[in-house]
Amino acid sequence: MLQLEKIRKTYRMGEVDVPILHGIDLTVLRGDYIAIMGASGSGKSTLMNILGCLEQPSEGRYYFDARDVTTLSDNERTDLRNFQIGFIFQQFNLLPRLTALDNVMLPMVYAGYPRHERLERARQMLADVGLAERMANLPSQLSGGQQQRVAIARALVNQPELLLADEPTGALDSRTGREVMDLITGLHAQGLTIVLVTHDAQVARRTRRIVRIQDGRITADGPPAG
Amino acid sequence: MTVHPYPAPSPSPLSRPGAGEPRRARSDRRRADLAETIPLAWESLLSNRLRSVLTMLGVIIGIGAVITMVTIGRGAQTQTESQLKSLGSNLLFVQSGVATTGSPVSQGAGSASTLVWEDARAIAASSPAVADVAPVLNRRVQVVFAERNTSTQVVGTTPSYVPVRDFLPLTGRFFNQAEVERAARVAVLGQTVVDALGLTPSSALKQTIRIQGEPFSVIGTMEFKGVNSFRDMDDQVFIPLTTMATRIVGVNSIAGIAVDSISASATRPDQMDAAQYQITNLLRLRHGIVPPRQDDFLIRNQADLVSASNSVAGIFTALLGGSAAISLIVGGIGIMNIMLVSVTERTREIGIRRAIGARSSDILWQFLIESVVLSLCGGLLGIALGVIASQSLNQVFGWKGGIAVDAVILSLLFCLGIGVFFGAYPARKAARLDPITALRSD
Ligand SMILES: Nc1ncnc2c1ncn2[C@@H]1O[C@H](COP(=O)(O)OP(=O)(O)OP(=O)(O)O)[C@@H](O)[C@H]1O
Ligand SMILES: [Mg+2]
Repeated sequence: MLQLEKIRKTYRMGEVDVPILHGIDLTVLRGDYIAIMGASGSGKSTLMNILGCLEQPSEGRYYFDARDVTTLSDNERTDLRNFQIGFIFQQFNLLPRLTALDNVMLPMVYAGYPRHERLERARQMLADVGLAERMANLPSQLSGGQQQRVAIARALVNQPELLLADEPTGALDSRTGREVMDLITGLHAQGLTIVLVTHDAQVARRTRRIVRIQDGRITADGPPAG
Repeated sequence: MTVHPYPAPSPSPLSRPGAGEPRRARSDRRRADLAETIPLAWESLLSNRLRSVLTMLGVIIGIGAVITMVTIGRGAQTQTESQLKSLGSNLLFVQSGVATTGSPVSQGAGSASTLVWEDARAIAASSPAVADVAPVLNRRVQVVFAERNTSTQVVGTTPSYVPVRDFLPLTGRFFNQAEVERAARVAVLGQTVVDALGLTPSSALKQTIRIQGEPFSVIGTMEFKGVNSFRDMDDQVFIPLTTMATRIVGVNSIAGIAVDSISASATRPDQMDAAQYQITNLLRLRHGIVPPRQDDFLIRNQADLVSASNSVAGIFTALLGGSAAISLIVGGIGIMNIMLVSVTERTREIGIRRAIGARSSDILWQFLIESVVLSLCGGLLGIALGVIASQSLNQVFGWKGGIAVDAVILSLLFCLGIGVFFGAYPARKAARLDPITALRSD
């Protein structure tokens, strides 16, 4: 489904180039459930942003369903994010001025669905993540776990094929983190391809494949031990 | 590694509505509804009410000023028009002197008189479209009664002045033809002069006043006529043309008594053109003017005067409106400023929207619409302000000029333009933000 070939990313800090990713080769199959692990600053988020078509690699090729993302226009990559990729962030990234329901509807607004369809589907999604009672709440009126559920509902509302989660439990306590992971694992059981970043071995253990990154290189790739 | 079918048949915690449907084709994709963003823009304005109002203030004042100014201008214009109409709609003015682009207000003072009384008599005798003709010779001189004196316009004319100008005596009478023929020292006073000399319409009769030192007996006072755009009609003293020429002005041309102008009335309003044509031909003949030579007189009719005064009022209105429009531009700059601040403040929001599928054009529209909503709200408040202000001005001045509807509509369009023009740069700036940079900012 996804194929990365010799992906490099270099940031320019003033006069010097700072290389972050040094040639990443990675293949993600349909239905994969991958945890990316590595030390802070090793380039995990950078890799996720490239996977999510938010950022272009400096070098290398990235194929999404056989389409070379590096050659797509900004609008084409935007549409890819809209239709085929769902994002979950550590900091939830909900729009503070919109209610939970409006936040979930937003990707469908940009996809151009009519309002009644958006409402119906967003309500369904929120009910599915257990927030039927909280639809009219603003993000500031929700707990962290609830906010992350809203974010998950938003990520899935356009029926993506790929779910990317950058430390989805990083800002949650262990119990709510576990609940969120239950939800994500359930999605995998449904057939969704999932790539997540985590520092938490407990979280990683629930996935099917762990990719370790160190200083911008993949050092290990395989099923979780035990 | 297990690869799961998609969608999976297993019972799921998340229902996936429409998962079985064919995926919307990329080309089918409709863009985000513009109507969608209007409530959002509205909400973002409400969320910072004070700032929004302060931002709109420039536009509010600008639009309010434009509407008030235009209404005032129009009111003045209507006023002038109705005054001109009161002069009589079948009036023609023949002025001596070569046609210049000067204003019709000037009586050609200082320029050599080319018209004589005999011209007026000839017009009366041989122009069938002309009803009455009154020659006029003016001077501003000192008029004295007892201890009081005033500087006023002394008008030497003939009894036809009354029907031509439709200007009647209030007390006493106007002078007659016999008094003109013997150059009698009789005077008819306008009401302003009556006042200035400390008299009343009735007490003025039979008094002796001095005009440039010459004694004149007052035989009548004229009705109130008010101020028209040319002069205070009541600030005049009427004496026989002959007396004026011999005693006050003291210059006669070989051809007879020189006059400044000749007022003529057409028999009917629809005879104006005919009258003008007959007078022109007659005077050319009498003055020996053949086409390459320019006319030494100038004929203006009521319509000319109205349009001249309208064009003056139009310039006045345009000037007022223009200066108000400048304040609108200033208002627009205020909007741009706040929109730039707003883009900076909401960088993260822009990043989030981009991450979940907003195209840069969606962001562009969002900010553009916000700026247009801002300027249109300002415009509507400005219109309310302008309407209230001009209504009360109309009341104060007793003008009948209504609200300038076209100014209201134009203002709204202008606001739309301002919103787009001054919102374009901030919106473009927002649309061009790199998604990941925007997302990382806080
Ligand atoms: N826009 C940028 N410009 C310059 N350097 C950047 C930029 N973005 C990231 N970096 C650098 O790239 C390195 C990797 O960042 P990244 O966010 O991918 O790390 P990470 O593995 O996700 O770390 P963490 O576990 O703390 O989230 C860091 O050293 C960071 O400072
Ligand atoms: Mg990170």
